[in-house]
Amino acid sequence: MIKKFLLLILIFSGMTLWLNGSGVQTNTELPFPFSEFTLRNGLRVILSEDYSLPIVSVVMAYKVGSIHEQPGKSGLAHLLENLMFQGSRNVGQMQHISFIQKIGGILNAVTTEDRTLFYQTVPSNQLALVLWLESDRMNSLNINASNVEKIKNSLIEELQIRKDADPYLESSWYFDQLLFPSLTYSHPVLGTISDIRDITVKDVIDFYSSFYTPNNAVLSIAGHINKNKVQQLVERYFLTIPRGSDTPPSSSEDLEEIGNTVQSIISPLATYPGFFVGYQIASPYSKDYYPLVITEYILLKGQTSRLYKRLIEKDRTAIFLGGGIENKADYSAFKIYVRINNEIMRDRSQKAVFSEINKLKTTPVPKRELEKSKNIFKMSYFRQYATISDKAIFLAEKSLERDNLHVWQNELPRYLSVTEIDVLRTVNKYFNDDRIILDIKIK
Amino acid sequence: MSQKKILSYSQYVVSLFIFMLLSLALSIRAQERFRRSPPYPEPYPEFSLPTIEIHSLTNELDLAVVRREDHPIISMRLIILTGESSSPDDLPGIATLTARMLPKGTTTLSASDIEERIESIGGNLAVDIFPDYSVFTFSFLEEYLDEALMVLAEMVIRPTFPRNEIANVQRTMFYELASQNTDPEFLARRVLFRILFENHPYKKIAFNQGVIKNLNRRNIVSFFSDYYRPNNAKLVLIGNLNLETASRKVSRYLSPWEKKDLKYSVVPSLNPKEKLKICFINLPQAKDATVYLGNIIFSITSPDYFPFVVLNQVIGGTSNSRLFMHLRESKGYAYYAFSEIKFFESCGVFLVKAKVRIEVIGKALAEILEEVKSITQDPIPSQEIEQAKSYLIGNFPLNIDTIDKLSQKISEIQAFELGSNHWEKYKENIMRITSEMVSRMAQHYSLDTPVIMIVGDREILDNLKEVEEISIYNADGVLQYTISKGDTE
Repeated sequence: MIKKFLLLILIFSGMTLWLNGSGVQTNTELPFPFSEFTLRNGLRVILSEDYSLPIVSVVMAYKVGSIHEQPGKSGLAHLLENLMFQGSRNVGQMQHISFIQKIGGILNAVTTEDRTLFYQTVPSNQLALVLWLESDRMNSLNINASNVEKIKNSLIEELQIRKDADPYLESSWYFDQLLFPSLTYSHPVLGTISDIRDITVKDVIDFYSSFYTPNNAVLSIAGHINKNKVQQLVERYFLTIPRGSDTPPSSSEDLEEIGNTVQSIISPLATYPGFFVGYQIASPYSKDYYPLVITEYILLKGQTSRLYKRLIEKDRTAIFLGGGIENKADYSAFKIYVRINNEIMRDRSQKAVFSEINKLKTTPVPKRELEKSKNIFKMSYFRQYATISDKAIFLAEKSLERDNLHVWQNELPRYLSVTEIDVLRTVNKYFNDDRIILDIKIK
Repeated sequence: MSQKKILSYSQYVVSLFIFMLLSLALSIRAQERFRRSPPYPEPYPEFSLPTIEIHSLTNELDLAVVRREDHPIISMRLIILTGESSSPDDLPGIATLTARMLPKGTTTLSASDIEERIESIGGNLAVDIFPDYSVFTFSFLEEYLDEALMVLAEMVIRPTFPRNEIANVQRTMFYELASQNTDPEFLARRVLFRILFENHPYKKIAFNQGVIKNLNRRNIVSFFSDYYRPNNAKLVLIGNLNLETASRKVSRYLSPWEKKDLKYSVVPSLNPKEKLKICFINLPQAKDATVYLGNIIFSITSPDYFPFVVLNQVIGGTSNSRLFMHLRESKGYAYYAFSEIKFFESCGVFLVKAKVRIEVIGKALAEILEEVKSITQDPIPSQEIEQAKSYLIGNFPLNIDTIDKLSQKISEIQAFELGSNHWEKYKENIMRITSEMVSRMAQHYSLDTPVIMIVGDREILDNLKEVEEISIYNADGVLQYTISKGDTE
């Protein structure tokens, strides 16, 4: 009896192994079809066929970002992203870039708070080349004193150039510190100059071997591909890369409450004064998040949004309006950014912002306006997977956020079913007195 | 006491074991063969470009439809086959102002009604004015084709050009242009075009903010009535729709648009400059020197198009091309150095642009000229030609990978009446280009006698003392004076 039972378990577990291990599971119900499989070493692979053009996009996404940096080591994740182009065992310095460009491809990389993405789009007959390049730097990156030093210097220079080019950059970082009060979330992805200087070769090696492992990555491939052939290619290049140890959890601490805060900062190089308003809102994985996103569209998106019409067109108290919802891993904030001509406009603009928020708290949004905001949202949702490269990025991002890709199937309907009551309720709940105002003053 | 350095048997076994372990470890570290060198590409996939279907409405509006089933967005472009070069000589800017006034009010809709209607269907509208044509780009959710066509019809059939809105658009245009006066690249390009297109209608595209106040409502109404006609327009639709439905719907909304005999003016062709001319614009406190080099070439319909595209790729199309490799990578003179080709109906322009370190501006300038000269005189290694071709063929699909880029490409084909060969045979046309064809063509055009525009702080003139003659222009493109080698200022 017991034996029989065990045998059944073995059969079943064997079957699931077979399903998850090598068989490709296809799903056709998401916004577009995809399939996925996981290699023995933990590398998750997502494929999506799209024959509209003879190209293929490959995204290698690692679940690592600035929130994984130890205190005093800010900029390390971004440094490693840059180092990934400095050569590996079989690929020379900067050769990754020239290989891709020579065949007419394009490539880029990005580091955020919680992820690092490398993406390239090439003619589809060159897929193997990209897998060769990506596997080589996952397997055997060259990390040595000279290339680490070189990247450190170029990052410090880049930081300085960005500061010079954007006189509001430092005030926006300071605003983030107020809005995401925790060591993990408050530091900028670019790092600080003194932290970057302090990064050692050992820090880089440790970071690389902890996070740049197959079991901490998603490989997403979209375009003119043959699924079975791709699976063979992926196995050839990635199967023998050893699994890494389980990634240390990011030192995720809860955010402190922000309270009612008003502060000011001087931006010495800026031409115009301005201010930020910020609220901590529901996490991107909660049901309150959907109405808040629609609220973002009602208030801020497009030339007919409420704040745009009020501040820029009707009152003309502001000369620039920006902002929106920003997510850092599990935390979200709602930011409003206003630039004004002079100090006289500050008070009037702030009053106008809060009066528009208060209207949303007391009066339900008219049906037609709600419909309009949802349509603008819908358009930007569709644009997330408009091209082959967008599809590969979309799949990589979504699978980093949630293990089960099927949960995304209902994402768009969740936004589109938001009612005026949902908006009223969530605005009242999250747009309360616990908010930050940061005044940007000029010299 | 001395110890014999002889291994005991057991020590021997242990060390042998260690040796074996080590070699095992080494053999694990030794990599698989396939990792050592890049894999060969597979054959390029068979692929056909989407078909452009054409239909002409009774009022002679041409409709082009491209079906894309995979995406719930429609891209709609209205092309008016009149651009800035058709502005009357005394009214440069009127084509731009007229186009930008179209969404600013009609007999039934105010400017803000139009904005509201467009955003309500998830849409947005952009207006772009080129020398030969003007384009209204409109994208929206596919379920709203009727609404979109209705707004478009209102805009092209019944605009009212309200005076207060004219004043608003004029003000916006003025500030946009004025704010660009400190942008070295914008300045270089504008003044370069003014010189290349001297006494030619294309000169009008380089208008500056000073002319905007000369434009009035009467000018707009008359320009609109002359050129905004269905027989002077093309409509491009891309999305999940077929020609039949599209024609029916477009005709429902746009057939009341009345045609009118057009004042055709043929844009004269233009000859390349035959003498090198070096110019300078002072931009106080500019940190770097911005260099734009240009000369007139053939029009986009010429058979020289494909060899020239390859030539451009060899000399400066990307960061693997000669200009970037030499000026930035090996010499370190420049932050960037690229070349590009711009096409208009009656001619094209070959451009080189570079941002250069001030201290080495003299050397950089000589190097750029040397590169241009070399490509016109020396044979080009066929390996370089093959490299360029492989880039161009591989990169082509990426120029049409969004619905907007696709629609832009199709609009260009429609506006210049390029024919389907230009589009469908791109790969074949590039494949057949040889090094000899490129060289022959490079010699034919006067690439080595261009106009060169340098924008920077006037201090850099000290580093240009070796140059025979420099013409000093102001930001509006007016010649101030000329300095010659040996002059002391």
